[in-house]
Amino acid sequence: MRRITTIAVAVTAASALALAGCGRADEGAANTGSGGGSTAGSTGGGTAGFPADSLIGVSLPQKTSENWVLAENLFKTDLAGAGFKTDVQFANNGVAEQQNIVQSMVTKGAKVIVIGPIDPAQLGTQLQAAKDAGATVISYDRLLSNSPNVDYFAAYDNVKVGELQGQALLDGLKAKKPNGPYNIEIFAGAPIDGNATSFYDGAMKVLKPKIDDGTLKVVSGQTGFKQAATADWKGENAQKRMDTLLAGSYTNAQLDGVLSPNDTIARAILTSVKQAGKPIPVVTGQDSEVESVKSIVAGEQYSTINKDTRKLVKATVQMVKDLQAGKQPQVTDTSSYNNGTKVVPALLLPPMIVTKANVKEAYADDPTLSKLTNG
Amino acid sequence: MKHLKAVFGNDTRQFGMIFALIALIVFFQVRTNGLLLTPTNVINLFQGNSYILVLAIGMVLVIIAGHIDLSVGSVAAAVGISVAIAMRDWSLPWGLAILFGLLIGAIIGAWQGFWVAYVGIPAFIVTLAGMLIFRGLNQKIGDSDSIPVPNGYQVIGRGYLPEFGPLTGYNNLTLIIGLALIAAIVTGALRTRRNQRKIGADMAPMWTVVVRLLLICGAILAVTLLFASGRRGTSFPVSGLILGVLVLIYSFVSSRTVIGRHVYAVGGNKHAAELSGVKSKQINFLVMMNMSILAALAGMMFVARSTASGPSDGVNWELDAIAAVFIGGAAVSGGVGTVVGSIVGGLVMAVLNNGMQLLSVGADDTSIIKGLVLLLAVAFDVYNKSQGRPSLIGRLTSGRRDRPAVEQPAPADPARNISETVHTEA
Amino acid sequence: MSAAPALLEMRQITKEFPGVKALSDVSLTVRRGEVHAICGENGAGKSTLMKVLSGVYPHGTYDGDIVFEGEIVQFKDIRASERAGIVIIHQELALIPELSIAENIFLGNERARGGRIDWVGTNRRAIELLRHVGLREDPETPIKTIGVGKQQLVEIAKALNKDVKLLILDEPTAALNEEDSAHLLDLIEGLRERGITSIIISHKLNEIERIADSVTIIRDGRSIETLDVAAGGVDEDRIIKGMVGRSLESRFPEHTPRLGETFFEVQDWTVEHPQVAGRLVCKGSSFHVRRGEIVGFAGLMGAGRTELMRSIFGRSYGTLLGGRMILDGREVTLKNVSQAIDAGIGYVTEDRKVLGLNLLDDIKTTTTAARLKKIAKHLVVDRNAEFAAADGYRRSLRTKTPSVEEGVAKLSGGNQQKVVLAKWLFAEPELLILDEPTRGIDVGAKYEIYGIIQQLADAGKGVIVVSSELPELLGLSDRIYTICEGRITGELAKHEATQENLMRLMTTTGSAAGRAATPAAGSTGATAAR
Repeated sequence: MRRITTIAVAVTAASALALAGCGRADEGAANTGSGGGSTAGSTGGGTAGFPADSLIGVSLPQKTSENWVLAENLFKTDLAGAGFKTDVQFANNGVAEQQNIVQSMVTKGAKVIVIGPIDPAQLGTQLQAAKDAGATVISYDRLLSNSPNVDYFAAYDNVKVGELQGQALLDGLKAKKPNGPYNIEIFAGAPIDGNATSFYDGAMKVLKPKIDDGTLKVVSGQTGFKQAATADWKGENAQKRMDTLLAGSYTNAQLDGVLSPNDTIARAILTSVKQAGKPIPVVTGQDSEVESVKSIVAGEQYSTINKDTRKLVKATVQMVKDLQAGKQPQVTDTSSYNNGTKVVPALLLPPMIVTKANVKEAYADDPTLSKLTNG
Repeated sequence: MKHLKAVFGNDTRQFGMIFALIALIVFFQVRTNGLLLTPTNVINLFQGNSYILVLAIGMVLVIIAGHIDLSVGSVAAAVGISVAIAMRDWSLPWGLAILFGLLIGAIIGAWQGFWVAYVGIPAFIVTLAGMLIFRGLNQKIGDSDSIPVPNGYQVIGRGYLPEFGPLTGYNNLTLIIGLALIAAIVTGALRTRRNQRKIGADMAPMWTVVVRLLLICGAILAVTLLFASGRRGTSFPVSGLILGVLVLIYSFVSSRTVIGRHVYAVGGNKHAAELSGVKSKQINFLVMMNMSILAALAGMMFVARSTASGPSDGVNWELDAIAAVFIGGAAVSGGVGTVVGSIVGGLVMAVLNNGMQLLSVGADDTSIIKGLVLLLAVAFDVYNKSQGRPSLIGRLTSGRRDRPAVEQPAPADPARNISETVHTEA
Repeated sequence: MSAAPALLEMRQITKEFPGVKALSDVSLTVRRGEVHAICGENGAGKSTLMKVLSGVYPHGTYDGDIVFEGEIVQFKDIRASERAGIVIIHQELALIPELSIAENIFLGNERARGGRIDWVGTNRRAIELLRHVGLREDPETPIKTIGVGKQQLVEIAKALNKDVKLLILDEPTAALNEEDSAHLLDLIEGLRERGITSIIISHKLNEIERIADSVTIIRDGRSIETLDVAAGGVDEDRIIKGMVGRSLESRFPEHTPRLGETFFEVQDWTVEHPQVAGRLVCKGSSFHVRRGEIVGFAGLMGAGRTELMRSIFGRSYGTLLGGRMILDGREVTLKNVSQAIDAGIGYVTEDRKVLGLNLLDDIKTTTTAARLKKIAKHLVVDRNAEFAAADGYRRSLRTKTPSVEEGVAKLSGGNQQKVVLAKWLFAEPELLILDEPTRGIDVGAKYEIYGIIQQLADAGKGVIVVSSELPELLGLSDRIYTICEGRITGELAKHEATQENLMRLMTTTGSAAGRAATPAAGSTGATAAR
């Protein structure tokens, strides 16, 4: 008995001190939700606007690539530059941590929450809480699913990215050797990331006919998405798979090209190939990471995609500004992004393919990368 | 200070961890300008951590028995995905789905318990294997994909108590639970006092008992009002209620029942326990099986809160649960630990996490601070033990010091007396 | 001898623990070249005094002065005292079982050149040291393969290597059989001739009488007196008188047995070793116990006494190959310990700390551990009943503790044993088996424990006592069985038994007569018992 009392005294004595509590007065931001169920229909609200110094929350996934770190910095400076208070956080420990982070942003009274989800399907409760508290949710880069409480989607056109990657692979192979057949391997991204499927689907739209007519030959036979997937987008996983493929299928055959969904994986593939002492194949990429741009300039990695994070962050911050002013943010697509419960209005930016040929002009505006291409 | 001691009992040190928790709460409450102790945040704190605390309950028993379970996260994930699929593909009603999930947990637990108890493979190895096996199963069953779960099911992770009765401005059911708890504590205190009088133990002065009860009841009332005063439709969360009921059941079982005793005995000295008639294999089996059942429940609660089951559910959960247990005063060598201590340990971590998120401290710094807290808490405990003092955290809630001893003059002749004892016992 | 100068003087040592004064004003003078015994009941403060001396409790945590070789010394840890030439050998040996004899001797003190161990030198020096302690073993033999007696010798060799001036032996013969004990005592005498001074802590008064030059008696944390044994006139009774503060007319309480009918019988009991198939540790043993009877079992270590008893106690040792057990006229099969307890059999283990107690537990929970269901309703423990039961035994057994809520780890050996006895009295056995019930226990507590055993028999229970101390068996038992190499070799009524004929039966096993008497068999036997 004393045990329970001990705990109870302690935990609660503190609470008692701090408790402002009197009735259900302290609802703060929650004045929009008059009941548990009245959430539908108010999506895309924000016509009322909110104070210019409000808190804007940005919840990013794990710190696994340079782009997310860049996004973190850009969001911090751009939002602060626009006069907002900001809270930008990574969730390095996974989904559960991201849930808690989004939840604490709601608690802190964020007016807009930008979410780059780790698992887009697992934030339903927090999105509901955001909605109940009157916050607007922008899904950044990856589309939040399994919830009606997603207001906007801002991203690059990912199917288009895939198509560009597939086309780049074909172009690269042709440039190297005018006629096929070419031996290639296929890598895809993290299986839980909806974008990975989009990239894969886009690329296969271009490559599938060529595989069928025999121009391209996947020597390992691993063409399915699940077979090609790279868990957690991790370079080490891709490198292990490439090691295995080289040892298993390319002891005699020559590897001509590899479809890689992003730069981290592309570099892992190149590392593996170099370690095996094989000639460098045509490898695609995405994200314009510094190391990969160097690699392109040096003639190793064949291509990357310029999905300038600056532009996407800028567009997202513009959405936030519009919402603050009570304007309807600009969107480009109001029909094709269905997240399972609703069609989310989306702002899609066009991606751009970068190879050694156009690397200079592609990054002319980029303060970091332009140095590399000029040097 | 003297009065403080009179109220809290003569050993203020045993309150160390709880005071640490209070200090954390006060610190963050001040630093976040009162955001920490708002109804919404406290509800979130419980919803966002109850599944880890459920794991800690099972884990403390495993650790008391002298084992470890590394597979809990994977087991939780495997059960979560199975339940999600059962509801989606077989249209299993959610109530049945929960039972189905517990059953899978029991089967997995029986599997691991079999290897640990009857084959004699160390739990570290068995559950390391389990960690791989059940993670793989999760990804195989779910095809490495997220699977949404229906609304009704989500109650166990994100649900609230219903609203009913007159409009008091509070959630009535939360109020009733709080008042019932207060009533139970007051009658419990009175009964303890009656017992003390009956067996003639030293009794604390009346005023200290009254002050203590007032403090406790005031505190419970405050917390109750905090939970009850959230936005309409919210209340003390269902997941918190599940946790509370489990804490009551398991602390009772661990401290007051024959099985609980046997768990401590096996962990403390397996040979001595066996030679006292304890069936250590059965105990080991039960403890491992129980852990997997609770892991199944934790997994299901998490899936309910997440509204979907995903392939990375449960990653690193075992570490959170184990950390909570060790901060709560358990010993790596077994035989020591309490359920309530582990909950306090888990809450320390939870408040730390939540407070730092409210302060927008980055995930990297948070991780560093949590690691240091774990190390310092256990180092403090070890230091105390090495000084010959009772383990601060272990004593914290051990409840084995209910009554001061009754000193009575020893009888002149031991031999005469033993025969009396033998005869009366016989 | 008494004219020799003092090697060590401990002056007015006072050591306090929170709430307890373990030593108050204890003084001890040890002369150069003597064997000095320290006697006292368990908990009297002997071990604390030695820990103060060896730096386990560093300078500053106690009051008083230590003068060693004429200078005041202030040890801050064990290494400091070892550097000064004081080496303590604890009751629990500090050897690493997987390492060889030589590696153990030089552990922490390796003979190395530039980080590389000089194996030739190491082994040569090890052989030399082993010869000094009279141990003929290959220095590369792993420690775990030699018996406890030999391990004890290795410990001494290790001490010799450290250039020891003062050797402290804490209960050196407690775990040894008669053979090994005798050998060890010879060795200590040999060391004395080589000029090494020893302090020996022992409960075996006959040993003290035999080898000690003087004896200091400690009682309740105070030094009572120092007796000059070498000068003669000091016998066991004189030492006992000092230890308990009164003279014990007899070391055993007066007792007239009230024997009833035979109620427990074992026939042709045969048990196989748990790991080694085909090796029999009990070979067709048959015996019986009457109500009200105390039956002694005598045997050398490793003879199979413990194995037989544990096998009877719910098959908690080995594999039962054959035999019948008859309890109250009916044949019973006890497959596990809890069945044995339910059938009314209790077993007090020989190794309290390893097998008998959970040192994390308090007295209360230990007392009820063997039969928790007695105070449990629907599997819920009634804590008031538990407290009352434990406190009852605390008073009736006169366990020295402030409260039954104290941890058993804090108790002295004698009081721990009382708690273990309380545990088995609480279980209400009809037959209680006690394996070495007074090992490591002082004279006063032994007397009390004998009293408890006799009262149990008078209450109509059967009692089996297994002991290595023949005087104990002779004083306590109504009938004695002897065991040798797993076989019951004799059965003697109280009036027939003497130390001599018991010893003869303990070392005779029909065709293999006399073999067990050789030292080699004795020590390998001891290893097998582990």
